[in-house]
Amino acid sequence: MANLKYKLIRKGVVADKIIPLNIVMVDSADIKACGLQLRDACALLGKQFSGAVGINVFDMDAVTTTSDGIMVDTALIAMAASDGGKINPDFGYLEMAEMPYSEELIELEPHLKQWDISYKGRRLFRGPDPKTKVIPVHNVVMSGRAANNNSATEMMDVVTMEEILLPYLGQREIMTGGEVLLGYTGEVISVGIGMTVKELYGRVFPTRQFGAGDTAHGSGEYAKTLKRDIPCIVADKKVLAKYTVRALEAGMIPGKDIGCSPAVLSLAKAMGLEIAFDNITDKAKTELASIDITFESLKAPCERMTAQMAIDHADEIIPGVVDPTRLKASDISQDCVAQV
Amino acid sequence: MKLMHTKLPEFIAKMKRAAVVNTPEKSIEIRGLENLQHAKMQSLRTGRIENAVEEMAGNSDVVKIELVVIPRVPETMHTVIVKGITESGQTKKAVLEVINILHPTEEAELIGCDDIDDRRPSIGRH
Repeated sequence: MANLKYKLIRKGVVADKIIPLNIVMVDSADIKACGLQLRDACALLGKQFSGAVGINVFDMDAVTTTSDGIMVDTALIAMAASDGGKINPDFGYLEMAEMPYSEELIELEPHLKQWDISYKGRRLFRGPDPKTKVIPVHNVVMSGRAANNNSATEMMDVVTMEEILLPYLGQREIMTGGEVLLGYTGEVISVGIGMTVKELYGRVFPTRQFGAGDTAHGSGEYAKTLKRDIPCIVADKKVLAKYTVRALEAGMIPGKDIGCSPAVLSLAKAMGLEIAFDNITDKAKTELASIDITFESLKAPCERMTAQMAIDHADEIIPGVVDPTRLKASDISQDCVAQV
Repeated sequence: MKLMHTKLPEFIAKMKRAAVVNTPEKSIEIRGLENLQHAKMQSLRTGRIENAVEEMAGNSDVVKIELVVIPRVPETMHTVIVKGITESGQTKKAVLEVINILHPTEEAELIGCDDIDDRRPSIGRH
């Protein structure tokens, strides 16, 4: 009898923040080692819990993108939601689509130039192919009370209506035994998640609907309030800085090649790098200004930092996360096994 | 052909009648239709559900029926109409928006129940 290893963030309260449901993360290599299909493994993991659980499956050898277009090694390749030990047969499980490498794809999605420079040869996954999903709009899976949305980066209990935001890099830290911040999203992340890049089968949007320099929110001053009070588990800011700096050093220009999120803009300013101000839409400009990130502040002279300095000073440079608690992955998640 | 769809009040009345037709001591609670004021209910399924309610009421272990209506596809898309009304009651201006709503699926209603007879057709069929 084989044992399937997985990581569990248990439902409850941590550092005064609500974890609204059980969160399971599993390496697809461990699933394959047990001789299971991904869907069957998710069903097995769902059966370990009597209540709501979100299940995320990773390929640690693949590559993905964040919503602002930063490429990151490792990827989410499948997601599930389970309740009462069951995964809804129609809506409870979904796999992400692999995007085959091509020069045409990189031409249409210029942030993928990072693929050649930093992650050559790795398989790329972001969101699902819409033809594979039954739920009409969002990239979401649902079973009973459990919902796992935006390609496994937001989980919620739809009955209690409590939610947690799980940006990709934070999940990666859990999987690799790093450090995370547990806090509230606050206004900066609320605005930041509206910053986008054009992607086919993206984490949030199935088509190339919103480009770099734009925002998906389009709600002006209200953008900073949309997801302001939600618990979140994010990567240590040095990790976010490391990946963002890698993208910037690969020649990615904020607002043109990669998104104009508060983190990206703040790091680009600290390093004295080009920002495509002319390409940032009025809608995005309004949202950024609502959290005091203005063109004037971004253009103001400052001491130019090296890449390493920007990473070392990430906590001061990158805004966002309210009431954060720094935790080791092992402080918030536990290693478990399910008997196959 | 007429009466392809059943009026909402008639649907509710039929379910209440089916619960007590052979078992007048039993009751039925209907949830999930409270927000509907104008609706036509699929007649074919109305008959099947009446049958299910009567059948459930006939179970000697059952004292009460709950009839719960939830969206089959748990993300529903709605048009939102923002209307500006004048003093005389006229709609002066309107903005149309859209909002998608996530609802719990049936598992949330069925925790602890193992005897589930799923009579639904696959999605897209009648």
